[in-house]
Parts: sequence; C-alpha cells; structure tokens
Amino acid sequence: MQHRFPMARVIVTASVLALSADAAMAQAPPPPQLGALAPSNIAKPRPKPPFDLTGTWLHAFARDNPFTFSPPPGFKLTPEAQVQYDAAKKARAEGKAYHDDIGQCWPAGLPVIMTRVWPIAMIQKPTAIFMVSGFMNSTRIIYLDGRKHSDPDLVIPSFNGESIGHWDGDSLVVDTTGFVDDHHWIDNGVPASNELHIVEKMRLIQDGAMLEIEYTASDPKNWVGEWKWTKRWKRVDDTDITEASCLPDLNEHMPSVTSKSVNVR
Amino acid sequence: MRRLQLACACLLGMWMAGAASAHHSMEGFDRDKNVTLVGTVKQFKWANPHSWIELEVPKENGAVETWNVEMTAPFVLIRAGWRATSLKPGDKVSVVGHPQKSGEPGALFVSVTLANGSTLTDRPPAAAPAAK
Repeated sequence: MQHRFPMARVIVTASVLALSADAAMAQAPPPPQLGALAPSNIAKPRPKPPFDLTGTWLHAFARDNPFTFSPPPGFKLTPEAQVQYDAAKKARAEGKAYHDDIGQCWPAGLPVIMTRVWPIAMIQKPTAIFMVSGFMNSTRIIYLDGRKHSDPDLVIPSFNGESIGHWDGDSLVVDTTGFVDDHHWIDNGVPASNELHIVEKMRLIQDGAMLEIEYTASDPKNWVGEWKWTKRWKRVDDTDITEASCLPDLNEHMPSVTSKSVNVR
Repeated sequence: MRRLQLACACLLGMWMAGAASAHHSMEGFDRDKNVTLVGTVKQFKWANPHSWIELEVPKENGAVETWNVEMTAPFVLIRAGWRATSLKPGDKVSVVGHPQKSGEPGALFVSVTLANGSTLTDRPPAAAPAAK
C-alpha cells in the first residue's frame, strides 16, 4: 500500500532515531551519597577530630590581619585580569567604585565572605562543618565524610564553591573548587573565575580562642602562580548571627550603591 | 583602667562601624569632609545589612531636598545605644555625614543630634559589660 504521507514517515523515523541516540548518550546518575546530616553517616566510626569549630567567629581585624585578600608583592595577572585591575585602580583614583557587585546584591563568595566584617556561625558535625555568615546568611559547607569533589560535569558552580576537608595532624585542610565564572571578586579589581582553586589550612591557636587559616589560591584565568594569605578570627561568645538580606527597596536608599556617577561597571 | 576600657570600646566601635560599612565599596563618600543636614526625618529604616535615614532638608530657596544617609548595621548601632525607635518620621534632627563626592544628596552617617539635644553616633559610648 502506498503511504499517504511519505515525507511524514521519513520525519517520524528520523525522530525515533534521534530519541534513541539521546537515550544512548544519557549518563548513568552518580552513585547515591549519604547526606552529611544523615544519622547513619554521622554515626560512622571516625577518628576524634583535633578541634571543634562550633561557635561564632569574627574576623580579628588588625594592621597585620586585614580583611582584604590583596595580591601579593610582585604579583602577575593575566592580560584579561590586568585590564580589570587597571580599570579598578583608575576608578579608585577618581573616587569611584569599580564593579561593586556585593553592593548590587551579588554574593561575596569565598574567600571574601570569610572576612566580610560580619560574624560567622560555625557548626561542626563529624561529617561536615556548616558555616553561615551573618552577611547575607551565605552558607558554606565543608564536607568531612570522605566524599570526593563532584565530577566536573556534575558540579553546580557557586560563589562559595565545593569544599572538601580532611584532618591532618592538628589542622583541617580544606580544598575548594567549583566556583562561578562571573561577578565574583578576590579583591578590588581582581576577578575570580571557575578555575579558582583554594586550599585552606585551618587550626586553632591561643588555647582555642583564635582560628587561623592559611590560604593558598590559584586561578590560571586571572593570575600566575599561587597567592598566599594568613587570616585570623576570634571567638565571639556574646554575638549571634542575624538574618541579613540584600533587598531592592533597601538598596534604593543607599547612596553607595545607587549613585550611577560613582559606580563604574 | 577606666580610660583603657573607654579606649578599647572606642577602638572596637571604630572597627565595628568602619568594618561593618565596608562589606561593599564606600569609595563614593568623601571621608575627609563632613556635611551637616538640618531637617525632618521622613523615614528611619532599622534593617540588615544597613540602616538608613531618609531626611527632608529645606534649601535656602525654599525647596526641600531629600537626602539618603547610609548607616551601618543594627548590631553595631545597638552597641552604640540605638533602638528601632530612636528616630521617627517627623523628628527634627541635625545629621552629620560624609557627603558623596559626586555632589548628589547622599551621605555616610557620622552622628545625629535630636531635638532634645542628645547625640547618637555609631560608636559605643562606653565599654559594654561582658556576656554571661
């Protein structure tokens, strides 16, 4: 029998083939990972950690402990990042702000969120450390349950990245990748990219009253080599974090972020 | 000892005030200059991450100019003696702030003097008692 719509038959056949090809390309989902707060995960036997960060911490601002993550002496930026850096420098000289994304409600992101002048609540469980900054209530989770970094094809880019930690003697070593590729800054005019990689070595000093973190950061899209900083936080037992949201109607009354003549983009 | 406590409190306050207003850029304010704004409170917002005052300031030509005065976070203001009711719409006040470099009607808060003569800043007036 002659097919009444020969072209339609061809299209239908092609569609079926395309669907089959799509199905063949589908990847198997990753093996299930017990959540960090799953009781059976928490209950797994693990060595006793050398310290417990549970508490509220505040960056201990001082001349030798600035909140900025400035480029080290002799730093070398990539040509693309140098353009941004020079533009920010020019804006500062003119009394202007360059790409003040935090003021426009973009998340600060790691590492900046750790020193952005607001207290950070830290809750340590055997499987993870939950850090909630008082600033925008930005949440950071450091997994301690032995999981590896997500497959790069599966990681969901974020401003605080994906942090995996392990204990090393009296320190906690945290490896963070999986960052976003835009609106994320290390310091004024120094952009961060999705190739940012931060390693933190955390330890308690001063009988547990002070948290010290040694940072090593690389970002081949933006600078050459590794940059290092050491920062300190003090326990603040008389403070709790509060809800803090960047809201459009609040921003309307903030000259620092509404003035178009001041904010250079 | 008392002097030391006061000095510490002032340093803490300076840090808290300066730092809390530094989570985003403050390049637009001229911190070397002060402007005094005598006017009427239109709104006082008690909110995270920044409080602010919307102030109606009469100009010499009779027109009224609305100024936005950017403040630090309530957790810093509380330590300086502020409450959500410290300012109310209609209050006649004198506000000192660092003006915008651009000349636009906006400022970074330094202090406010109320109709009763009392002054509030964003620095703690004295060392706060330790938490128990």
